[in-house]
Amino acid sequence: MNHRCHLVMQGDLMAGGYRQQPGASSAETRKDGKRVAGKQKFPPPGSGGSRPVMAPRDLDSIPESVGGKEPQPAGSHIHDRYRTGTEVGKPRALVDSHAKVTGQAWYGDDVRLPNEIIGKILRSPHHYAKIKSIDTSKVEALPGVLAVATGADAPNTFGVLPVTKDEHAMAVEKVRHVGDLVACVAAVDEATAMEALNLFEIEWEVLEPVFDPRKGLEDQDEPIHWRGKYHVGTTNVQKRVFQEFGDRSLVDDPTASSHGKWRMEGVHHGFTEPHAVVAHWDPNGRLQLYTPQQVPHYAHRALSTVLEVPMHQINVIRTFVGGGFGGKSDPFPHEMCAAILSRKAGRPVRINFTREEVYWINRGRHPSYIEVKMTADEEARISGFDIDALIDGGGFASFGHVTSYYNGVLATAPYELGSFHYTGARVWTNKPASGAMRGHGAVNTRCAVEVGLDEMAEQMQVDPIDLRLANLLPPHSRTISGFRITSNGMREALERVREGSDWDSKFRQMPLGKGIGIGCGFFISGSGLPIHWDPNRFPHATVHMQIDMDGGVTVHTGAADIGQGSTTAVAQVVSEVLALPIEMIHVRSHESDTSPVDLGSYSSRVTFMNANAAIRAALDIREKLLNAAWEMLGYHPDVLVLNDRRIYYKHDPAVGVSYLEALHKAQEDKGSLISSGAYRSPPMGGVHKGAAAGLAPAYSFSAYVAEVDVDVETGLVACTNVWAAHDCGKALNPLAVEGQIIGSCHMGLGQVLSEKMVYGRTGHLQNPNLLEYKIPSIHEMPHVTPIIVESSDPEGPFGAKEAGEGPLLPILPAVVNAVYDAIGVRIRDLPLTPDVVWKAITAKCKALDGIDETELPSPRLVHSPLQPTLVARGQEHKERDRKRQRSEDTSAYVNGVLFGFDPDRPLEDQVEGWKSAVEPVPEQLAELGLAGKAWLKKEQRQMGGDQ
Amino acid sequence: MMLMPPFNLHHPTSVDEACELAATFLANGESFDWVAGGTDLLPNYKWHINVKTHVISLAKIAGLDTISMHEIGAMARLGAITSSAEVHPLIASAASKVASSLIRNNATLGGNICLDTRCFWFNQSEDWRRSIDWCHKEDCGTGSDCRVIPNQNTLCVATYQGDLAPSLMVLEGTLHIIGPNGPRSLPVEDFFQLDGITRNVLENGEFVLKVTFPEGVENRTGSYKKLRVRESWDFPEAGVAASWIEGDSASLRIASTALESIPRSHQEQIDALGIDFSAEQIPSLSEAIMKSIKPVNNTALPPRYRRSMVRVLAKRSLRAILGDE
Amino acid sequence: MIPSAPKTIWSAKVNGQDVQAIAPSNAILLDVLRDEVGMLGVKRGCDLGTCGCCTVLIDGEPRLSCLCLAGQVEGQEITTVEGLAQGAHLAPIQTCFATHGGSQCGFCTPGFLMSAEALLNENEQPSRDEIACAIEGNLCRCTGYQQIVDSIEAAAEIKRGDAPAPTPASDPHPNPHPEGPDEPSMPPGHAR
Repeated sequence: MNHRCHLVMQGDLMAGGYRQQPGASSAETRKDGKRVAGKQKFPPPGSGGSRPVMAPRDLDSIPESVGGKEPQPAGSHIHDRYRTGTEVGKPRALVDSHAKVTGQAWYGDDVRLPNEIIGKILRSPHHYAKIKSIDTSKVEALPGVLAVATGADAPNTFGVLPVTKDEHAMAVEKVRHVGDLVACVAAVDEATAMEALNLFEIEWEVLEPVFDPRKGLEDQDEPIHWRGKYHVGTTNVQKRVFQEFGDRSLVDDPTASSHGKWRMEGVHHGFTEPHAVVAHWDPNGRLQLYTPQQVPHYAHRALSTVLEVPMHQINVIRTFVGGGFGGKSDPFPHEMCAAILSRKAGRPVRINFTREEVYWINRGRHPSYIEVKMTADEEARISGFDIDALIDGGGFASFGHVTSYYNGVLATAPYELGSFHYTGARVWTNKPASGAMRGHGAVNTRCAVEVGLDEMAEQMQVDPIDLRLANLLPPHSRTISGFRITSNGMREALERVREGSDWDSKFRQMPLGKGIGIGCGFFISGSGLPIHWDPNRFPHATVHMQIDMDGGVTVHTGAADIGQGSTTAVAQVVSEVLALPIEMIHVRSHESDTSPVDLGSYSSRVTFMNANAAIRAALDIREKLLNAAWEMLGYHPDVLVLNDRRIYYKHDPAVGVSYLEALHKAQEDKGSLISSGAYRSPPMGGVHKGAAAGLAPAYSFSAYVAEVDVDVETGLVACTNVWAAHDCGKALNPLAVEGQIIGSCHMGLGQVLSEKMVYGRTGHLQNPNLLEYKIPSIHEMPHVTPIIVESSDPEGPFGAKEAGEGPLLPILPAVVNAVYDAIGVRIRDLPLTPDVVWKAITAKCKALDGIDETELPSPRLVHSPLQPTLVARGQEHKERDRKRQRSEDTSAYVNGVLFGFDPDRPLEDQVEGWKSAVEPVPEQLAELGLAGKAWLKKEQRQMGGDQ
Repeated sequence: MMLMPPFNLHHPTSVDEACELAATFLANGESFDWVAGGTDLLPNYKWHINVKTHVISLAKIAGLDTISMHEIGAMARLGAITSSAEVHPLIASAASKVASSLIRNNATLGGNICLDTRCFWFNQSEDWRRSIDWCHKEDCGTGSDCRVIPNQNTLCVATYQGDLAPSLMVLEGTLHIIGPNGPRSLPVEDFFQLDGITRNVLENGEFVLKVTFPEGVENRTGSYKKLRVRESWDFPEAGVAASWIEGDSASLRIASTALESIPRSHQEQIDALGIDFSAEQIPSLSEAIMKSIKPVNNTALPPRYRRSMVRVLAKRSLRAILGDE
Repeated sequence: MIPSAPKTIWSAKVNGQDVQAIAPSNAILLDVLRDEVGMLGVKRGCDLGTCGCCTVLIDGEPRLSCLCLAGQVEGQEITTVEGLAQGAHLAPIQTCFATHGGSQCGFCTPGFLMSAEALLNENEQPSRDEIACAIEGNLCRCTGYQQIVDSIEAAAEIKRGDAPAPTPASDPHPNPHPEGPDEPSMPPGHAR
């Protein structure tokens, strides 16, 4: 403890300043090691603690570029000089984990207010029907019923996206699926409320429902919604997309091609906490709404619209969220219902969903028909992607407008393409709405694309990993659709899973029933377009920070922690910048009253945007503290070091002040320090229609290898091992990143092996419970080896990018490709339930002259001469990528360079056929795919209707 | 919450008291159900299916949870059976495949035997069933048609998905039943009765007391193969149990479950074989068993597939009892 | 108002305390624990026995409280997640779920903790397979179970004394006035 005097010190000890009292010398130390009272300058009442001396600087967690030991293979980062070695990069328990392990975390159903009553929702028994009348008199007469509401009480529409507001609190004119909300009641207890539901008298006019999305493309007598002059014919098409980029002539005469038609079932988020909401109009007439929301701000806006109450009179309180995955990101009609009932009854109203109701409100992944054609040229360059995606939107728009784009545009990387053609359509059907789910819109096409690549690799007799490595876009480049790629760890991810899985000695070499497969992923790290659609004026994220005399840091943010650890990430970056123990950082993020507007937890934006805003707010405080220390010590902030609760002179650590001394100095005449930081994504992307969809300030990349065992007699597929490499830029909290990777594997595995929303013969959802909706149990989980790739994104907080959604993408194609490696059968119906696999095996056996399942030939690979060419190109590109990543090469790179184009001149000028189109030309119409058929219809305005 | 309709729960502490209670309710014309572990009854009650005014719990009756080689009480919990060293290994293994470890801690042998038949048109909430205008199994007085096979209104084809029944059958278990009219016993395979509504021979007021096995059951080698998507939670989509006393072809027993409204013994197919059982007979025997069953479309996996899997499961269980797995 | 089943006084020992509650005779244990006893740490996920969020210990055995009639466990000893910690000291299983990533959204956590605690009480050194069997009735949508198994393994180590109880990552009550470094820790030319 007392060796300070032996320190070899540099510089002038007394220069300009104040030398801190040595403090605990042996004479002043009590025998029990505690310090003598009265020696502290600001004795804080009740404080003390067991760590009286500053922790040493953790040089292992300080980047090389600023003198530490942390290796930086991807180069230095603008935030390096704010690194203090405190938190970033260290495995950290979630800051709210103790609340969770003690049962004290309060989820939606745990909010109990005095005098509360119970709300229940009446749901439609019909798929599609007009409500001719609702008589509520018997309901109202039931003793114990305190409020009744129907659609007439809230005629305003809402919806998560400003362009597609098509939902009501309760059905106004018609119901659109079984389980759609019709009316609601609030009563003194659950039993009374349930009894009340039986007393509604409703006259229906039942309409002809549509369940098959392919039927939705046809003209209907009564489309599910009416979009006025923008309505496409009289069909149920909610959104159609056409995009074409590049030189379509490149796809002629391909060396290899793949054409796959996929059928993907809908999947649900399957979060463990059912929706629950409590609404309470407080005595001041303000609405306090407690809800487990991923995106409280959207709910806030919608509530304001529906209730016709200004937003400042509503306080949305986000409870703990028992899992979201996109399923708690829409503003929900039941939230409106609770508020309406509470306003009527004058008492707090609680509505809890049963698991079945969770399925009625769905908004999970779209059931999809996807067709992918792809070609490769003689040099195994990918000359074209042609994607057609028909997605089943269910009864409402939800996030569907965006999903329609994502199904195509998120397939434009990580590979360099000669051309890209996408047609997408989302149709309404009489089923619960589909919407956003982890990996929003990108998952299904990604699977189709990656499996197509596998097939092309097989045709060309090359290794599918080498095929990928030779076709990757480099860091700091542009995709064919104009997305700006910054950091890119795709190559490293592929190399590391190849090595980790011992790929080269397994692929196409294992016995029948055992297989290994590869899949890649690409995902946005924060949507560039915020809900207010005004990214040039309002920031995406704002964080407020406050430090009072006690030195504790209170951080106000609206970021919704849904278990992914966003609160922890914010606390970590603040802790890192201010060099304070994480226990001193208190994040307040539950109430809209106290938190600045944040767009919530969707599109994997929180770490990137919110942590960036938090860093900015912390830097402001940091500057104030350093200036105060400057005044006290006489050293310029440039030569001052922030370390664990102490600020000192760089060349003589003994010259310094404690954090609290500096803080109090900074607070003189001002009181508590406050600061605000915001993040706004830079302007990016093209100008074509839909160019904003898929734009993000950074993108994540991932590559997985999966190993499977297929029981050829039963068709049961067991995934046994996964090597999962994900480029998250920089792992702020490796424990959490690994948790996200493994958890994504689990969820993706569910979609590829067992989960589906089963709509039977009659259009009813047949499995609205967790027994029949088959989420994998622990026994189905493979051993996952998470591999974190750090490409250090130049704009990410300390280099970080997302890790919540992207890691889900590669597991699907990796498993499908592994199943092919195991049994030589390509299956394009997801999920690969045993009956589907068995059927495919049986068909294959039949085609092979009725051989026994156990005699199926396993696919084998003999390399063609293309293989060494690809390996060489991959090696060459590796060097190219390294230079670009480390900014040794800062030349422009756009998609097309691989095909010999000059990146510095517009491609349109170089190639005659190069185009960028967002609408089909008439001669194309005939050859469009399934979803493309939506373009055969004209909009009402073009037909002169509904002006 | 999934609130159950009101009912009265009764806790008799002896078998006699239970029978008396049942007799009283019968005499008063009041409906009632038995409940053991509750893992089958309570979900149905939460869905408002066939709710009765009274429920008699067997939980407080002492002595119904015997677990031994020759006798297992109805109230023996599946978790206890799974981990028991006393019980026949086939029963322990079959019990270990029921649902999840947590469910097995509640569930009982008696409950598993008396499991209600299942169907995705039926095991749904009241609102859900109202939206399909009910079904034949629970028609709520509407005379609704069967939703699995429309235009027939005589038979309920809901599937019996108990895991234990085939194992009890191939070990030649005897079921002991008691009720207001006294005890009776019968072979396990005679307990089940078509159709999906009738389910079994229990008359009003009777409940299962225990299963016993004949002397020599310990010499039987058995195997139960279960088809399911997940290794936890899932009911069998098909299940085949086989057992024999090694070397004694006459002792061969095979039974299947989860394919029709009742579990089935396949003695007929074994008898048709007519020669000594050996590995060579496995394919033809499995084929014959497959042909004898006709699953319908009311569980998670399609019936054609489940039917084909009977052959695989039969083959595998027969191989297992021959010691060739 | 709708009549419920006749109400009775239900009594049991919940987390070591004798508890009495007035509940309908057909009440489900989960409802009584949450709504009458106030143990909101017992979660309702599916109400049908699949998710395991409502797992509690009944006489030491992990059981699904959503499929348990309160009347059937009258007078028995019930432990919920609230009863795991000893006063302010978290049980090893609780700490390990926090430090090993066993809990993400946390909704399934109470159920997993109870299943795991029951396992560790019986088996000091469970293998990963044995852990898997013990928690096969609990559904987690966030973690993919792997870090849950890690957490349970770590807790087992602590319980049998093979590892020290984890200390908090940093001092929970840091002295606001730390002194300078107690040993030379300065790098040559470090952070600006």
